[in-house]
Parts: sequence; structure tokens; C-alpha cells
Amino acid sequence: MAKREIPEINAGSMADIAFLLLIFFLVTTTMDRDKAYIRPIPKKVEIETPQTPIQNRDILEILANNSNNLMVRGKEVRNPDDISDLVLEFYRKNEKLSSSETDVASADPGYAGFEFPFYTRYTIDEIDASLYKAEKEAEDMEKTPGADPVLVKYYFSKVDEWEKKRKALKLYGKTELPEISIQAHMRIVVQSKTAYELFAKIQSEIEEAMFELRDDASQRIWGFGYSRIVTRLGSEPTDAEFLAKKALLEALYPARIIEVTPKK
Amino acid sequence: MSKFNKGGKKPAPSVNTSSLPDIVFMLLFFFMVATTTKEADPTVEVIQPTGIRAEDMTPFKQRSEIDFIYLGVPRNKKRAAEADIEYALFLDNVMQPNPNELYTVNTVRQWKKDKFDAKPERMKQPMSEVITCIKADEKAPTGIIFDIRKELQEIEALKLAYSVTDNSNN
Repeated sequence: MAKREIPEINAGSMADIAFLLLIFFLVTTTMDRDKAYIRPIPKKVEIETPQTPIQNRDILEILANNSNNLMVRGKEVRNPDDISDLVLEFYRKNEKLSSSETDVASADPGYAGFEFPFYTRYTIDEIDASLYKAEKEAEDMEKTPGADPVLVKYYFSKVDEWEKKRKALKLYGKTELPEISIQAHMRIVVQSKTAYELFAKIQSEIEEAMFELRDDASQRIWGFGYSRIVTRLGSEPTDAEFLAKKALLEALYPARIIEVTPKK
Repeated sequence: MSKFNKGGKKPAPSVNTSSLPDIVFMLLFFFMVATTTKEADPTVEVIQPTGIRAEDMTPFKQRSEIDFIYLGVPRNKKRAAEADIEYALFLDNVMQPNPNELYTVNTVRQWKKDKFDAKPERMKQPMSEVITCIKADEKAPTGIIFDIRKELQEIEALKLAYSVTDNSNN
């Protein structure tokens, strides 16, 4: 008996089905990606502790008032695009000074960069010594009976900090690791009616300046841009080599931003 | 003597369309990969300010580690006038039982908690790790943003993101 031929399925409407699906996806999705500036919110403090006074030179204050006028470090700024340059100046003014020059300049009020944050330069021996000291202190604290766990944690975070510095300097490959004054920060002060547009612009300008600082350093050290590190970590978030590179750049140029809640 | 017109008029050959579905499927897959789904249609008008060097939120969105708050002028002008609200919030998906409702800052806390509880246990991130992304209108006053920030601080949701449109490619 002859085999019966299998009837062919008419695939003519397949294209119509696919088109339908395509149009559905076109309608329900968006092409533009969500972009945003991530900023941590500080933990709420229950007990107000007396604050150590911060020197003026370590503060980059950006003020924006109700009528959207800008003031940076006490001077009015007409064009918001200038903020990034002021941030760059803040970081770069005293960056190139050596340890001994820093000592001289920080004692001389007539020096042009006196009102800008100074850098501390750590050699590997200094970091090792501090790391050893911090480890010892942390261990002693842990052994103390009835030690406050919060305090113990604090001591161990100190050890981590020095270890990070050690790693950063190793990767940096220089004899010294420059570190901006630990208190140097940017402070955004707005009033309650300041437009979000201006607030976002300030964030954008800060981000632009930080990118430029880190990009320059990246070019100097490895010969490629910071964006390459960012892209690499975007596709491969656990790449140890690039994570270390990013950590070094962030150690060289930390972005410490304080957003001040406006008064009612 | 026609050399080229042998055998009279021929009908135009039909185009083979058997590969058309393949082409369309290819297009379909391209769009499925290159786009992201809209999370909601907000009830407030938001024109975002522009900024550069902003971080891409897509990875967080894929892991659903991000909650969106919209801040803008309500589309429903009549209701806004009745309630005497100039700027209202729109909170993504959960807790929008009534789309006409205009939400204000005091609902943020409950909304965050509801969203947190609604997540299945194995996908749960600590509250402090979930990003809250504010998509605010460029004219919106920053005071409201800081009010939201304060609410988030109270419930220890300590990651905030300020959304902008970033047209640069990075």
C-alpha cells in the first residue's frame, strides 16, 4: 500500500502572527533607558553628638535659593555649567604639592590655595605601620571583656580602611598615595522652592567633574579612559581587576556629597 | 522579428514570501532585547530635566530592586483643584487602587512597606538595599523631594536615585 502523503500546513499566516507580536512589543515597551544619580541617605541619628569643627577649606558649598540663583563658596554663579570647573579646582588646587610643600603652604595664609583642601601622602611603610597598629587595636578591643560590639565593629572598619589603602597604593605603582583631606566634601544646600531642574543640574555637574578627575587619572595610570572601566563593570560586575581599578580611582577622588534638608 | 518577446506575454512571477515570517521574527526579537517594558502610565505629568553621566538603572530594574516615584502636576486638573494640591505623587503599580487618587508624601512609607512585603521571600533584598527612584518634573520644588527623602530615612530605605534624561551614550 502506498504511503499517504502528509498534508502540508499552510504557513501563510505565520507572518501575520509575528507582525501582531511585534506590534504588541513595540507598543508596550520603551526604548529610552532610565538614568539616575544614586545617592545614599545617611542613617537617622538618635543622639546628636557634638561635631568636630570642619575647616572652611574642606567645604565646597553649593547654594541654590527659592528663585533659583546659585552661589558656590560664597560667590554668585550665573551659569550653572561653571559648577563642574569649580569642583575640579577644589580637587586639583593642592593635589600636586609634595608633603613638605603641603606643610609649608598649610601654615601660610597668604598662599593662593590656602582655602582649598590639602592632600596627605602615604608611603607604603606608613600604611603598613598604621595597618599593623589598627589591627592590634582591633584585636585588643575584641578581647576586652564586655566590649561594645559597635565599637569593635568600628575598630575593624579602620583595619579595612588601611587595607584598602594598601591595595590602592600597590595598584597605583607610585611611591606615595595622595589622599584628599578626610573631611573634604561637597555640600548641596537648597531651599524648599528650588526647582528640581537646578538640583539635578548640580548633581549632573558634580558627576561630570568626578568623571573628568577619574578619567584623567585612569588615562595617566593605564592609558585608557574611565568609561572603559564603567562599561566593563556594567557587563561583568564581578571582574576583580576592574573592581580594584575603580576602587583606586575612588580612593584618589572620593565623591563625598552632603545634601542639606531645607528649613521650612 | 522580435527576438526578446518569444512565447507571448508572461504573467509577472509571484514573490516568494516564505521567509517573511523569519524576517519579522528577527525584528520581533530585536525589539524584545533592545527595549524595556514600561512600568506604569503615571497620572502626573513629568518632564524630566537633562543631565549627563547618570547611572543606568536597567540592571536594577531587571532584578526588580527599584521602586519608582513620580512627582509632577496631576493630569486630572479638576481633582487637583478640588483637593488643592499643586504637585502630586504617583507610586508605581502596588497601591494604586484608585487611579484618580492623588497621593502625597505621607503615603510613601506605607507604599514602600507594601511593596517590600509583596515580594516573594527568596527575592527579598533588605529594605536599605532597594533603590527608590524619584522621577520628578523639572519645575517641581525640591522641598517635596527632601520630604520624601525624610520619609525614606525613617523606614531605613537608604538608597535614593534622582532620575534625569541622559542623551549621551555611556
